This record gives sequence, structure tokens and C-alpha cells, in this order.
Amino acid sequence: MIRLEKVTYTYPESQDEGRPAVPALADISLEIGEGEFLLLAGPSGAGKSTLLRCLNGLIPHFYGGAFSGKVSILGHDPIPWGPGRMSRLVGMVFQSPEAQCVAPTVEEELAFAMENHGFPETLMRRRIEEVTSWLGIAHLRDRRLDTLSGGERQRVAIGAVLVLHPRLLVLDEPTSQLDPQGAEEVLEALQYLKETLGLTVLLAEHRLERVIGYADRLLYLPGDGGRPLLGRPDEVLRQMPWVPPLVTLGQALGWKPLPLTVEEARRFVGKPAGGENAGGRPRPRPSSRPVIRVSGLSFSYNGRPALRDVHLEVFPGEIVALMGANGSGKTTLLKHLVGLLRPQEGRVEICGQDTRRVSLERLIARVGYVPQNPDMLLFADTVAQEMDFTLRQHGRPAGVYGDLPALLGLQEHLGRYPRDLSVGERQRVALAAVLVAEPEVILLDEPTRGLDYGQKEALERFLLERRRVGRAIVLATHDVELAARCADRAVILENGRVQAEGSVREVMAGRLDFASQVQRLYRIPGLITVEDVLRERFCGQERR
Amino acid sequence: MDGLAKQEELQNERSPFRQEKCLSPGHPMAWLLWALAAALPALTTRNPAYLLLLFLAAAAVYGALPDRSEGTSGWGWFWKLALFLWLFTVPLNALTAHYGQTVLFTLPDSLPIVGGSVTLEAAAYGFLSGWGWLGVFVAFATLNRAVEPYRLLRAAPPLLFQTGVVASIALSFIPQAGLTLREIREAQAVRGYRRRGLRDLPPLLLPLLTTALEHALQLAEAMEARGFGNAPLRFPGLQRWGQRLAILALLGLLAGLLWRGFQGENPGGLFLSLAGLGLLLLALILQSRAIGRTHYRAQRWSSGDLALALAAGLDVAAYLALLGLYPEALAYTPYPRLNWPAFQPALGLYFLLLTLPAFLSRRAR
Repeated sequence: MIRLEKVTYTYPESQDEGRPAVPALADISLEIGEGEFLLLAGPSGAGKSTLLRCLNGLIPHFYGGAFSGKVSILGHDPIPWGPGRMSRLVGMVFQSPEAQCVAPTVEEELAFAMENHGFPETLMRRRIEEVTSWLGIAHLRDRRLDTLSGGERQRVAIGAVLVLHPRLLVLDEPTSQLDPQGAEEVLEALQYLKETLGLTVLLAEHRLERVIGYADRLLYLPGDGGRPLLGRPDEVLRQMPWVPPLVTLGQALGWKPLPLTVEEARRFVGKPAGGENAGGRPRPRPSSRPVIRVSGLSFSYNGRPALRDVHLEVFPGEIVALMGANGSGKTTLLKHLVGLLRPQEGRVEICGQDTRRVSLERLIARVGYVPQNPDMLLFADTVAQEMDFTLRQHGRPAGVYGDLPALLGLQEHLGRYPRDLSVGERQRVALAAVLVAEPEVILLDEPTRGLDYGQKEALERFLLERRRVGRAIVLATHDVELAARCADRAVILENGRVQAEGSVREVMAGRLDFASQVQRLYRIPGLITVEDVLRERFCGQERR
Repeated sequence: MDGLAKQEELQNERSPFRQEKCLSPGHPMAWLLWALAAALPALTTRNPAYLLLLFLAAAAVYGALPDRSEGTSGWGWFWKLALFLWLFTVPLNALTAHYGQTVLFTLPDSLPIVGGSVTLEAAAYGFLSGWGWLGVFVAFATLNRAVEPYRLLRAAPPLLFQTGVVASIALSFIPQAGLTLREIREAQAVRGYRRRGLRDLPPLLLPLLTTALEHALQLAEAMEARGFGNAPLRFPGLQRWGQRLAILALLGLLAGLLWRGFQGENPGGLFLSLAGLGLLLLALILQSRAIGRTHYRAQRWSSGDLALALAAGLDVAAYLALLGLYPEALAYTPYPRLNWPAFQPALGLYFLLLTLPAFLSRRAR
């Protein structure tokens, strides 16, 4: 159905810098069958998005650049056809739900593509009827797009291309900005489309643990000129450097066939290996004074409650993971901790200072806050200038960065323009730009969004290093595996209330919807990471 | 069964909404005509009696329309701006126009522009001009409340459709940019950023600009992938003829204008330019017909829409006739001495007709 022959592509920007041009795709040949759910994985910058855009002619029509080789979709070549005509065959859905809608309401959004193709109105009505029922969004038809949740919006975006009855659905990280529930909605919908309509689905994603269970085959683009791997997921996963925790566990314990989902892995886990004394990390002694103390905090935006009676204490040298669905109040709570919002009820004390009585300048000397989107911060010409800016604003000498650039792997990039860097690198520049002021409290909002496994591991190392030197870290995150690996405590917010709070092990044992893969597999309190399981087994064997 | 029942329930749920739609006017063109009828006197007369009536009529319509903003209130700044402009025209006119007999005080002649007598009449004229502008603002705010800008722009003829879509998206960017700017300001404030002067703007503006550009590119890509700008040609021949006709029409228009320029008294120039304009319109229609783009749920003319369009059309025609034949009926000037404005009761009908949508919408509710 899809055939790529020796496809090589170079973006125009990388051609005219005087350096030898680095192709984003080099000599790629592939064949993909009809009715498959194909997952596309690989590190940032490996060419996943580029490959997807070759399939409907956005490359080279929209981007320019040098293209060679041949692409064929059901025998049609996207290059003479162009993206407009190709839209009848290939439906493409993008990452950000906001940046792909054109109309104010769901129904008009769904009609847009059909209007462009001049469909008669009766047909448009029929198709909208049909697509909304496939995707389970019939009840949203008259709603305005800006009132929908992320998962709903992304399903509308899928519907908006599906109305043309394409044979191939191409999705570029469609779930990366969604909470776990929203992501599941979208993936379930895709699964349904594949099964009932025989639609071919091609999906790029970083968080393999979310998607791998749905995939029939896996295509891995290693980047840096390495050969792409295509095959059954378990075969390809064995050859990939970074894999989901469950796969790591399966490999370490020699499970065959390699399980991809928690359900598949269950049959390898017979009787639980008795882990009630599973130690875990020592909790920092609460003998020290908490640096963050929130008591009875309530807050509402224009009468809509966002936080209700929240209590929280964070001590130096610990990492607290703040979890919960989108809109549960995580960001609102973080903004209270840095003084961007002041409590309407209750108190927030940072290092003993009541945020209602202290100016923002005094607070930020103690607290560093990195917002979700690094692009909101970056404006300077170089990475070094970005850090100097913060230092100057704090009244410190410029150029004194300590070990920060080394810790974040930014030494080679100090002289580069931040916006030219990859998502993961920009995220680290944003971290450096805020944390160069050496705050005692570090607040991170969704720090792993858009990061690949390698970048995530680097971030984890950095956080653990900061914890070691006594920083208090609060991270709002959907990434349960990150929380399992580096947090000491977890707080789950629901509709602005604290639903669960405690050590990350306790919380995950009690709330499987926010638990790591390992926890969901074993369901033993205390076992949340691969290392936990291996240590437990090792100790168990020794005891025997 | 379950699905059917659900569908029925949905339909029942929706039906009152639909009914309301047919009664109260909602067609973009009907409302555009209304806005034109409302803006005409605001732009052409300075008679306070008529301005007052216009203001009341527009306010009545505005109040009768349901509020669509759902608490998002992006229009607060709009009213502030309108009010500011109004209040600004009073001192501006008073200080720069030195006519009128009721001198309030005198500024020394050595001051450039503002030097001279400041009169009550000049202030009153400023007040009335500002009021006129406020009338235009109110007319368009009402239009915006009645018809979503998105629908208004999408009602453009097929040939201009792409421009309409792009303009409607640009419009939706404005509130979005406001939100982004707030996020950026917060993010920078937390880094210790404080704005002291113009030199401190880049940390706010550069991220805003780059984010907006990236957003625009992503959107453009998504639209292209959904076939935007790829409308099929229904009648390629029609389009070709349309193009040729357009060239001919433009040439005719140019020739006519030149003729008029050189021999103003000769009616041939006027005739030629009018013919050129007519042909241009025809070319536009031809080309629009050629494009096979369709419209989902193209707004149909309801009886309410027809009534509104008829009333507004009548208003506009009558007003233009009056303006052409008896301009003095509408004229008012406070100079040389502030005087009582004349009022023609017959003209009151004009403004009464303008309130028609208020009755239509109220009945619908």
C-alpha cells in the first residue's frame, strides 16, 4: 500500500548554511501493507515527522528542500498530486490540537475538508453523521471547540480528516499533549477505525508504553544515518536502545515472547514474590523544616473552583510528583508555589514566608519555575545569554553558571541560538535559564513533554543530582514512569482536591490509573520500577 | 435500539434551538445590511437628535440579542477603546478648532495649533463627532453579537472565500495571542524580569512573535493537508472567460478614469468607468460560479432574515435618497453659535425600523 524507494530528503535550511547538507532522511526504502497499525519510533530528530510528511506530499510541496527517490501510496505519487489532492487518500493529524482547527464549532470543523473538495451538502451531512458515530463524538456536534477536552479535540481532528474517507491515517504524536485518559480515548478510537474500517494507521510517538500495545508492527528510525528497523514490535524492541520499562523487565527476566502490555505480561508473573517489605528509598527526615507549606488553599478562576482545601508540605532533598488529569489543578497549584497566584483562602508559605505578604521578587530568589512550554521563555541570541539574563535580573554576575551546563549537557550549545535546538534541548535550555539562579525550590510543569527516552533519562539524572544537594523539587506530570523512577512522594489531584498523597509507592499501589507498568503488573505495594523487581528477585534468591 | 433512542433524544434536545434559529434573523448578509443602515447616519449626520435615536435603537437590538461570549469577555477592551475615542475627540476638537462664538477661555497665540480661543461650539462638535464614531462602534458590536465573525467572513463569495477563511482565522488569533502573552509574561516574571522601558520588551515580544509564527505554520500545514486551496473547478471554461473578462473590465475602467481625468466634462468617461465596474462584477460572479467549492449548512434565508434585510434595505435606500436630494434635512452644525437641532418626526421612522431585529429576536426567545 505504501512504498518508499530510496527516499532522501534535505530541508532547505540545512542546505544553505555553508556546511555539508545533512539529510533528514537518507536512502529510506520501506513497504507497508494495508490495514496495519504501524508505530513509528525513534529519538528526536531521527526524521519521524519528516517521513510522515513525505506520505501526503507536504514534503516537498510545503517545505521545499531537496527530495529524491519515489513514494507511492496505493500507486499514486504524492509529488505530482500535492497535499491537497492527496488528502483524499491520506488523512493527517498533528500534534497540537489547538494548532490544527479552523472553525469555531465541531460540526463546521468536520465539514471544512469536504467543503474544500466541493462535496454536496447531503453527502457532507451523511459523512459527519457517520464519522461522529465512529469516533464517539456525536454528542459534541454542536459544541464549540474551545470548550472540549484535549482528548475530545484530538478525536475531532481525526474526524476532520476522516470525512474524506482516506485509506491511510497518519498521526504525528497525536497524544503527546494529552493526559493518560485523553490519550487512551484517542488510541481506542484509532484501534476501532482500524478494525472496523480496515484503515491503515501510521502513528509516530515517543511514549512507547502508551501505544505499543496497539501496534501490529513497529518501525524504528535510529537517526544519525542508521538503518531503519521494521518488524514485529517484540523483534524490533530487542534491538532498540531505549524501551518501555515492561520490555526492559521482560528482557532482563528472559520472557518469551516478549510481552508488550501489562495484560500480556501477566502470564509470566505467577505468584507474587512476596514483597511486603519492599524497602524503597528512605524518606527524607521531616526533622528539617518544610520549604513549602500549603494549608487549606482554595482558589477559583472567575467563580470556577480550581483548588479546594489543598494541604501539602515539601521538604528539602525530596522530589514530589503532582499527578492528575488535565484541568485537575496542577498548574494552578504550581503557580501558587511561586507566587504568580496568591491564595484566596488558606496559606502558602515558601521557606517560611507567607506568599501573600512577600513580593514576587523576594519569592523568586528562592523558587525556580519552569513552565510547560520552553518557548515561552527563550528569546536571547545564545544559550549563554539566556542564562546571563536570569543572572542579571537576580543581581548576580553574568557568566557564572557552575556545573549546570555540564549537568544538562549544554556545554557545546552555549553559543547557539536556542530556538534552533531540538525540543529536548530547548527544554534543557529553559531549565538552565531558570535554575542558573540556584533556587532552593524547583517547580517543573510537565517537563517530559516531547522528550525521547534518552532525553528523559538525562532529565532524571539531573533531578536526582539536584535532590542530592538538598533541593526541593515539585513536578507536575502525566508521566507515571518518570514519577515512579525519581519521585519520593506523589500527590494526586482531582477537580482541585488532593485525592491521594503519600510515598510514591503507596500512592501507586492505591491508584492503578496513576501507577507505573511494573506496579500494574505485580500489584505489590513497593514494586514500581524495573530495578525494584530485579532487586527483589536477587534478594529473594539470596535468601533462599 | 439504544442508539436510535439516543438519536431521538438528541434531536429533541436540539429542536428548540433550531426553531429559535429560524425565527430570529441570523443570516450574515441580512445583518450586514442592518449594520450598514445603522452606520450610515452615524457616519453622515451630526444631528444629536438622530444620533441619540440611533444609539437607542442599536442599544435595544444589542440588548435583545443573546450573549454568545459565555464569559470569555474579549470585548471589554473594545468598549474601553470606544469610550476613550469618544472622550478624546472632545478636547481634541476644542483645542484645535477655534471657531464658534461662545468662548470658554483663550490660550496664548504663541502656542502652535492649540493657541487661540477655545469655544463651547468646538467642544460640542467634538462631542458629536465622537458620538458618531461610537454609533459605528455600537453597530459593529451588535453585528458581532448577532453573527459570529467567522460566519460573516465565510459568507464571502467563493472567489474571495480563501481570503475570508484566512481573515476569520486571523481574527481568532487575537484572543489567543493575548493568552500567550500572559503566559510569557508570567514565565519571564518568574525569572526576575521586570519591564522598565522599551528596551525590556524583547523578552516578551520575541517569544510571542516566534510562537505565533510557529503556530501559523502548523495551522497552514494542517489546512493544506485537508485540501485547502484545492477546490475543484466545476466549469474551467467559465473561469477562463471570467479571467479574460476581468482583464477587459480593468482596461475599460482604467480608460474611463483617464478619459474623465483629461476631459472631465465629457460623460463618455463616466459611462466607460461604470461599464468597467459592471463588467468587473460580472467577472467576479463568473469566476465564483466556476469554483466547485461547497458550503456546509449554508445559511438559509429565514422569514426573519428576509424581514430584516427588507427593512434595512429600505432604510438604506431611503437614507441615501434623502442624502442625495435633501441633504439639509440631516445636516446640523453647532457653529457659529450652539443651537437647538431640527427634528423631522418622519425620520424617526427610520430608527424605529432599525429596532426590528430586537422585536424578532425577543419573540423568538
